[in-house]
Amino acid sequence: MALLEVKNLTVEFGSEDKPFRAVDSVSYSVDRGEVLGIVGESGSGKSVSSLAVMGLIDFPGRVSADALTFDGQDLITMPAKRRREITGKDIAMIFQDPMSALNPCFTVEAQIMEALKVHEGGNKKQRRERTLDLLNQVGIPDPKSRMTAYPHQLSGGMSQRIVIAMAIACNPRLLIADEPTTALDVTIQAQIIDLLLKLQEDSDMGLILITHDLALVSEAANRIQVMYAGQLFESGPADSIFAAPRHPYTQALLEALPERSEGHDRLRTIPGVVPGQYDRPQGCLLAPRCRYANEHCVKARPEVSDFNGRDVRCFYPLNDQGQPTGLTADTTTGETV
Amino acid sequence: MSFLDTKPGVPLLESDDLVRHYEVNRGFGKPSAMVKALDGVSFTLESQKTLAVVGESGCGKSTLGRQLTLIEKPTSGALKLNGNAVGNLSDKEAKQFRRTVQMIFQNPYGSLNPRKKVGQILAEPVLLNMDNLGRKEREERVHATMAKVGLRPEFYQRYPHMFSGGQRQRIAIARALILEPKVIVADEPVSALDVSVQAQVLNLMMDLQEEMNVAYVFISHDLSVVRHIADDVMVMYLGRVAEKGPTDEIFAKPLHPYTRALLASAPKIDPTQRVKAEPLTGELPSPINPPSGCAFHKRCPFATEECAKVRPELRNFEGREVACHRVEEIA
Amino acid sequence: MSENTTPSAAAVEPVGAPPSPLRETWDYFRKNRGAYVGLIVIAIILFLALTAQWVAPYDPIAQDRAAFLKPPIWMEGADPRYILGTDAVGRDILSRLIHGAQLSVSIGVFVVILSMVSGIVLGMVAGYFRGWVEVAVMRLMDIMLALPSLVMALAIVAILGPGLENAMLAIAIVQLPHYVRLTRASVVSELNKEYVIASQIAGAGHVRQMFVNILPNCMAPLIVQGTLGISSAILDAAALGFLGLGAQPPLPEWGTMLSEAREFVGSAWWVITFPGLCILVTVLAFNLMGDGLRDALDPKMKR
Repeated sequence: MALLEVKNLTVEFGSEDKPFRAVDSVSYSVDRGEVLGIVGESGSGKSVSSLAVMGLIDFPGRVSADALTFDGQDLITMPAKRRREITGKDIAMIFQDPMSALNPCFTVEAQIMEALKVHEGGNKKQRRERTLDLLNQVGIPDPKSRMTAYPHQLSGGMSQRIVIAMAIACNPRLLIADEPTTALDVTIQAQIIDLLLKLQEDSDMGLILITHDLALVSEAANRIQVMYAGQLFESGPADSIFAAPRHPYTQALLEALPERSEGHDRLRTIPGVVPGQYDRPQGCLLAPRCRYANEHCVKARPEVSDFNGRDVRCFYPLNDQGQPTGLTADTTTGETV
Repeated sequence: MSFLDTKPGVPLLESDDLVRHYEVNRGFGKPSAMVKALDGVSFTLESQKTLAVVGESGCGKSTLGRQLTLIEKPTSGALKLNGNAVGNLSDKEAKQFRRTVQMIFQNPYGSLNPRKKVGQILAEPVLLNMDNLGRKEREERVHATMAKVGLRPEFYQRYPHMFSGGQRQRIAIARALILEPKVIVADEPVSALDVSVQAQVLNLMMDLQEEMNVAYVFISHDLSVVRHIADDVMVMYLGRVAEKGPTDEIFAKPLHPYTRALLASAPKIDPTQRVKAEPLTGELPSPINPPSGCAFHKRCPFATEECAKVRPELRNFEGREVACHRVEEIA
Repeated sequence: MSENTTPSAAAVEPVGAPPSPLRETWDYFRKNRGAYVGLIVIAIILFLALTAQWVAPYDPIAQDRAAFLKPPIWMEGADPRYILGTDAVGRDILSRLIHGAQLSVSIGVFVVILSMVSGIVLGMVAGYFRGWVEVAVMRLMDIMLALPSLVMALAIVAILGPGLENAMLAIAIVQLPHYVRLTRASVVSELNKEYVIASQIAGAGHVRQMFVNILPNCMAPLIVQGTLGISSAILDAAALGFLGLGAQPPLPEWGTMLSEAREFVGSAWWVITFPGLCILVTVLAFNLMGDGLRDALDPKMKR
């Protein structure tokens, strides 16, 4: 049984009659010792979906799901207090900006000990030892002297290490990292990702890595999920999803990367922008930007279906050659290059 | 003298030992400290070329951009535009300078005045620097520039908040282009944008370079973007140049240990391109209190005692400039 | 690879239409019931003030020697011609209140305009140039804030001499520090934004930067402060009038009316109650509207 099981999770904002679906029936699961990468552009709903799992969507957002279970326990039906216990202890979360995740008024030591006190108990001495131990674990040099430091005295990388220390303080079984390195420099990013993966491996945690960085997720994750405008577009194993994308969006994203370009040629772009709250198309959400879209795509919304062992939300998933399947000549309206 | 005239054989933009120090107040009763944000940077930029300035936060790349566009005055060093020194400018010279050097900012949400219409934003540089144009000609120029960057004419009357990030960056590019400058300093122009939109903006910048013969000083931390767009790369670390040379050569064979570490740290999609290397240890040192000798020696796997004592100067090596004592051995 | 280049123009799709900022602000404002009521009350007061000559049944200073201290019409012994009764010299209270609205509203508006304009200039200069200019301006404002406002207004009126114009000037000076501080704070935060630097690169001079580029972005808190400032100006003017230092009799200013009616508190309650109520309702209405505006204009309060 998977550690976290999410089935058809939907998060809506706005009025009842004209709701805006920030997350639209997204399903996924994470196992122990597994790294799930969720990638998407801004507005894809990748952060909102994990906030919903944590129970952090406040009014006026509305969360619904067919199933939301953690380690076999149903998170939706359980009492709020019990859920808070689980989300504090067994599921932990790391946010993008380490500076705002730490309270500027308290020392590092006080903040980590507070987290320990709430969920683990123990006396002051034990907690202090555990704090020191944690700082060692996240690779903070000279942890004794850093214990009494205030957040503003630490660099971005150091702060993110402290945040990670707080997140793993209670030995969580699932860690959700939402853009954990976006605010950091490249060399520091590499350190933090290595640290997260090491911690994950050592304690057999499940890790959800949410990011916009395709390259980062392809290096770090076992399984990858590509999201677009609140929907799951494609999911599959990390080593094959970017080698042979099945969804036109994944394919187009990869081609838009400068990394894939040759010399001074122009990049292949995806025209237009991610649809916002007011301009979601009626059919497939990608239809106005998709190079293979035809009339059918404009009218009807595709469902997620299995294609060669990959979950794909497309009427015409791509084959190994990167060409759409199931398209007949007369249904083609767009240029297929 | 005129900044507008190009002279054969003279580089378009030349920076000679540019230095910018900031005094920082460290609180009541403590002496103020000196931050060497930019500590002797020299480069030349030929017309229609792209020079990328690469580095992590605090390396001085944005400070460099601020000196090049005269937002701030350098502490010392010289800046030459078309062979003419840029010093204390008269009104007329300042106008000429602005018509030659313009800037694009990182954050398209902050760089456009939220209370002005797109038309007004774009007209401002023309209004202030091209006195000979009437109202009608000004509007024509704005419309022509909007068309050039792919903005529809009806956007003229809209406010910036009605646009997405990519479209705002197009507006910002149009504003930089409207005076038809020869140099555009672009400070992280695509790092706030999504991948698909980033590609659009990069293509636009490259198209415009060919069409309008501009040269870019492209400040970025994203190596894959730099590799794609730049002709030359200048890697900076703590206010100084670590390595400088043609893009292809630097990416094919980085010489400075810091350049190597940067390239190795950047994640890659293609498993065959991944370099398995130990990530750099340690933090970026504080520019208030930089390490002695080579600023990189505390994080460098090749550091020797000499590196801790003597600051390496930039020197030629294999057609590139590298600031490292041990470059011969490493290479 | 020409097919890989995107024609620039085709790449830009229009963004969907989010509501315009004005519309959005109005929607937020309307959801706040108190603010909405305040707005309606203010509209009524403004209407009465503008049409006082025609709406008011009598001349506010005409005395009817046959009707001293007549009570409102629903009381015994009332004169049916005077709806809210008459005062000690036989003037119609309703007419005086309606004309008083004219006075009060113009006091409020004039004071706020005077104080806001000079406050914006001072605050803008202080925030834009920083350095010793800022120190000089801001310390002066701190000193002004250290004095109780009414005491300072009294002192200024004492120097200038009593009268409505001088009272307004005094109140404007008393209110000045609020606008200066508010303007300076927003200017300092706007100065760091990139659009200011972008305009600087475009060659904008100081005056253009200050008043064309930066000022419009600082207006939201100032508008709120201005609305609240109208109510405190009316209140202060009434207080000065009550103390005999503001509007002089027979001007029908509400505070002055209160002061004139002091001796009849026990015998003729209506003479003193209605001007007091008018002040209360007007001030309350402006405060409610100001609060509503603040919530509607403050992006942090929005979801």
